[in-house]
Amino acid sequence: MDFIQEGFTQAVTLLINRDPATYSAINATLRASGMAMAASLVLGVPLGYLLGYFDFRLKKQLRIIVDTLLSLPTVFIGLVIYALLTRNGPFGDMGLIFSIPGIAIGQTILALPIVIALTATAVEAADSNLRITLMSLGSNRRQIAACTLWEVRLGILAAAVTATGRVLTEVGISLMVGGNIKWHTRTITTAIALETSKGEFGMGIALGLVLLLIALTVNISLAGLRRRS
Amino acid sequence: MYLYQIRDVDHFYGDKQVLSIEDLAIPSASITGLIGPNGSGKSTLLKLLGFLEEPTYGSILFQGRKAAPFSKVVRSRVTLLIQEPYLMRRSVFDNVAYGLKIRGDNREIRSRVSKVLEQVGLEPENFARRKWTALSGGEAQRVALAARLILKPNVLLLDEPTASVDAHSARLIRKASLKAREEWGTTLVVATHDWQWLYETCDSILHLLQGRLFKRGLGCAVYGPWRIGQNGLLQKELEDGQVLIAPKPEEGKLMAVLDPSRVDITLPGMGLQQGNCKTLNGFVTRLFLERNSATVQTAIKVAELVITIRMARNKVEALRLCPGKEVSVSYDPQEMEWF
Repeated sequence: MDFIQEGFTQAVTLLINRDPATYSAINATLRASGMAMAASLVLGVPLGYLLGYFDFRLKKQLRIIVDTLLSLPTVFIGLVIYALLTRNGPFGDMGLIFSIPGIAIGQTILALPIVIALTATAVEAADSNLRITLMSLGSNRRQIAACTLWEVRLGILAAAVTATGRVLTEVGISLMVGGNIKWHTRTITTAIALETSKGEFGMGIALGLVLLLIALTVNISLAGLRRRS
Repeated sequence: MYLYQIRDVDHFYGDKQVLSIEDLAIPSASITGLIGPNGSGKSTLLKLLGFLEEPTYGSILFQGRKAAPFSKVVRSRVTLLIQEPYLMRRSVFDNVAYGLKIRGDNREIRSRVSKVLEQVGLEPENFARRKWTALSGGEAQRVALAARLILKPNVLLLDEPTASVDAHSARLIRKASLKAREEWGTTLVVATHDWQWLYETCDSILHLLQGRLFKRGLGCAVYGPWRIGQNGLLQKELEDGQVLIAPKPEEGKLMAVLDPSRVDITLPGMGLQQGNCKTLNGFVTRLFLERNSATVQTAIKVAELVITIRMARNKVEALRLCPGKEVSVSYDPQEMEWF
């Protein structure tokens, strides 16, 4: 059990001493997950609104597909994205394999169903009188969409928190698409996997704690937003 | 000129027909009352008049032109206040100012919000910054009304606006709505159970039952089970054992309606049974003097039925009617209508 205590001490040391490898992994993690979250929110919130607000043919079937995609295994996404981005793959010329944007693409696919499903649920759960009220006050369709999303902002925030948690902690995509290249695509989770495989449990736990600290910081910021709204 | 003209409108939710109006015209700057039991189609009619929904069949003309949801001609002119107001998750000020902001009309917005809040009896300095959660039901309803009044609408549709608020709020809501008509010539259509409002302020009252309009008065609906009696007429045994008689309906018609304009009221034992007329016994539950008229709305309870009749004031006086007084209701079974 000593390695747990050792992990705590080492985590503090790594952060205080500004360990370059650790900060490089933090940087890679934040860049990849930041890009993925931005893309998944930009795409997912409007799609979630459409799915939750409108009634159309095959809506139920589409909802089942989105809900199923919530269980997408990260290694499977990693495998598919690797196959697409590898030098011989259909998008190999883009040079995204073993890069942070490559990881971000995979993580976007991971986060997108979460954002879509939870936004759709929030929109569906919105008060049925909201639409009548907005129409009565003279809103056009675009204004109704904007105001409805603002009204369900806590639900969208919950979607963002859940998706961020999933993206920050995934390892399969980062490992397969990023390649775990030191100073380049090594994220905190791939570093933990590597350290554990080397038997450096203390270092692994230290990096795990750093990851938790990042998650804590992100959630405190989002909680601040929630309080303000 | 009529503001609204409705012709042959039928509206369905799924397979269920909820509204059927052959002909209805509402003049500009008038106050129209809608009355009818729950589920009679009042809210649906208001939604159609507010162009929030499009009728399944038929058309609604607004100022002589066909209009539809989101069309510009109605979007900035017609507004509906629903019974359970929805306030957006923002301050009272932002709720009231929303309609102006989306129109890009930001001129003197603070003073306009203050003025309209005062109009509904809310002090701007106390309420403008309040959150939507820090309001009572009556205050929330008044904020919702203020959000509509600030738009100076051509038409203000009110769906039971005083049903779930205290008497003080109800009075303020009535006053502010009437002022809109006085100041801007706003046409009001009000669905309410508030008899005082209906009969004191409305220019015309429309009675709705099962999605149909009864312009002459509130029809009294009678549902089955019916049994076949003498001469092929149908009989309905009421809760107190009295029997109501109706002619045989055409196929597919399920509800019989007793037209109150075709019944006569006498004191028990005094009425002479004429022709085919039948008599039911009941008692007066409510009397209400209509505005600017010598007509009294008289509600009579006969077993489980409530029959509301417009009676001449001198007849009410002659019969010395008062709540609780026993009366006889005479009707001709052949005049019962089926729907």
